[in-house]
Amino acid sequence: MRVNPNPMPDLLAALNQTELEAQKASLEIASGQSVNEPSDNPVAAALLIENNDQATFNAGYLQSLTSVQGQLSTADSTLSSVETALQRAISLGVEGANGTLSDSDRAAVAEELQGIQTQLVSLANTSYQGHYIFAGTNTNAAPYVADSTAASGVDYAGNTDVNEVSIGNGYKLAVNQPGSQLFSATGNDVFLAINNLVGALQNNNGIGDAVTSLTSASNYLSAQRVFYGNALNQAQSQTTYLDTAKQQIAEQQNTLGGADLATAATNLSQAQTDEQAALSAISKFSQNTLFDYLR
Amino acid sequence: MSGLNGTLSIALSALAASQEAMTTTSNNVANANTPGYSREVADLAAAAPVEYGSLTYGTGVVLAKIESLRNPILEIQLNQETQQQSMLNSSLGQLQQLQTQFSSATSGIGADISNFFNSLQQLSTDPTNLALRQSVLTAAGNMATDFNTTAENLQTQSANIDQSVVQSVGEVNTLTAQIASVDQQISALENAGQNAGTLVDTQTSLIRQLSGLIDVSVIPTDQGITLATSSGTTLVSGGQSFAISTQLGSDGVQHIYAGTEDITNSLTGGSLAGLIQVRDQEIPSLGSRLDQLAAGLADNLNAANQKGYDLNGNAGENLFVAPPTGGTGAAAGLEVSITDPSLIAASSDGTSGSNGNVAVLSAVANQALANGQTPIESYSNLVFQIGSATSNTSADVDASNLILQQLQDERGSVSDVSLDEEAANLVQYQTAYQAAARVVSTVDGLLSDAVNLGIDAAEE
Repeated sequence: MRVNPNPMPDLLAALNQTELEAQKASLEIASGQSVNEPSDNPVAAALLIENNDQATFNAGYLQSLTSVQGQLSTADSTLSSVETALQRAISLGVEGANGTLSDSDRAAVAEELQGIQTQLVSLANTSYQGHYIFAGTNTNAAPYVADSTAASGVDYAGNTDVNEVSIGNGYKLAVNQPGSQLFSATGNDVFLAINNLVGALQNNNGIGDAVTSLTSASNYLSAQRVFYGNALNQAQSQTTYLDTAKQQIAEQQNTLGGADLATAATNLSQAQTDEQAALSAISKFSQNTLFDYLR
Repeated sequence: MSGLNGTLSIALSALAASQEAMTTTSNNVANANTPGYSREVADLAAAAPVEYGSLTYGTGVVLAKIESLRNPILEIQLNQETQQQSMLNSSLGQLQQLQTQFSSATSGIGADISNFFNSLQQLSTDPTNLALRQSVLTAAGNMATDFNTTAENLQTQSANIDQSVVQSVGEVNTLTAQIASVDQQISALENAGQNAGTLVDTQTSLIRQLSGLIDVSVIPTDQGITLATSSGTTLVSGGQSFAISTQLGSDGVQHIYAGTEDITNSLTGGSLAGLIQVRDQEIPSLGSRLDQLAAGLADNLNAANQKGYDLNGNAGENLFVAPPTGGTGAAAGLEVSITDPSLIAASSDGTSGSNGNVAVLSAVANQALANGQTPIESYSNLVFQIGSATSNTSADVDASNLILQQLQDERGSVSDVSLDEEAANLVQYQTAYQAAARVVSTVDGLLSDAVNLGIDAAEE
């Protein structure tokens, strides 16, 4: 069969192909990405969208946790101060129950207790970044307002609602305990207990019972405080989990779309060799025809 | 007819034939790089012999014809593959342009959706925080803007394709007019018994160019050729061309007409078919998926916002301008309807500190849209669609290129000029010419001997 006397288009097509491959390998090395366009790997391109979604959310949960942990820690340390104050109040009550005290001594004890009552109101009105943390969800108003007409000496202006924050896919963490459950729970109202103790001391009547009530209210509050300890623990372990997940998501991202540098470099070098070969073939092709030999 | 005069006449015919054959060779060498040129060969034949008594004498050589070497079947295959390759190639060019809008996983609509829901997540930690509320509105705005831009870009690309369609139709008409005119010349020459080889080359080359634009098949007839599209629209017949035209359709894109018949959807090859495929299939399909996604997000987020209470304790309103019913145009028109960040309905109980409704808004991220997929799945699927369409078309183009290259090789082996071959022919014809000239010179010597009756030329 007669040979095609003009292989130039074939040679140029081959050259074009090697240049295309060299470009592709160079782009992969330069960008560090093997998927630069969806057509490079449609499945990976689609999965990378979802991977980026996961990465965004993972980072988002971590950011939320930082904020949540700040709020939880503030609440927890506030409650620690509350416990200390209540211990002091109980000691004062026990002291006041001592029958050897004079009226003026009991009056002094009662006065100190009133100071503690004020301190507790202030602690219960603690705010974090501008909102009151023991007010349920009614966070823009101080939850406890002094009211001399109330039996407990204060009114609760908050509500009983609890906010939850997502800290993982489908993982929600309650981030607050309303004051109504901590300080003024029915039957274990610390303000009422202290107010009653002050009254008992002033009237020198039923001091022992009042101290017992206060102790019970204080214990109840301590039990409620465990909520914050648990929440902080959960936040901490979830942070650790999300940090690990972050690594995995990054690894997955790299597997899906990262450049395989070794392969890309080999491909580039192969393409360059092929290109040299094609160029050399073209330059050598038919430099001479029979015409050159005719005299 | 015999004798010296007969010999001289034979030698003269050989001189003439060798010269003519060398002209053919020369023409081949001259056209060695002319696209579409088919090499010609001089077809030499022995002249009719004469009988003289019982003997038969040859009367020399004649150039019977000059023949262009081409394989008509190959030309047909080349036309068909050119149509296929051009269609795929024009499709691929558009798809590659289309996919650049969906090429990043960390920016664009997909990332916007992720960022928007992340901004809600942050708001849940501090629902009264105006900076966090503002960042939700900003993220919603970014999402809307990217939906708008992407939808507009699809529209722009469709409009650009429309321009190409109009241009290509113009080129088709120019080519068919040229082909018809060449066809008339070929018929005239052939009717006069002349060789129309180079004109046929021109016509073949024009038909190849036409094949790059539209699917045509060539039907040889008694009066030249007939060109028709595969769906039966006649473009050239009996030396006449029939123009096709474009007209803006009610769907807002250019339709192609042959006479009054709309042939837009019946084209199966050439760049026109590729352009129309992307314009009428891929772009509308992507567009409607974007619309569905935008409408689904806007509707679901509006409904979620209405379930809660804003920072002032009022019932939530729409977060986005309500998308059009049916969703068409939702992506292009997506717009955040509130500018006041306090209007985000984060609260579920009316108190400002409640974040209960943020969870309802966030849940939209996992809520299935009309297509049964979540927003991010829906978008990721769309990216897969355009990616795989581009990648498949690219593979098809590669395959078609190989076939075309193979066919061109075959055509070259039949029709391309080989300089070696022409040099060899030249040597051959030159030698023949020299030999014939020698015969003339010998006859000349013999004749002068006869005329001078043996007087030695040296004695003069």
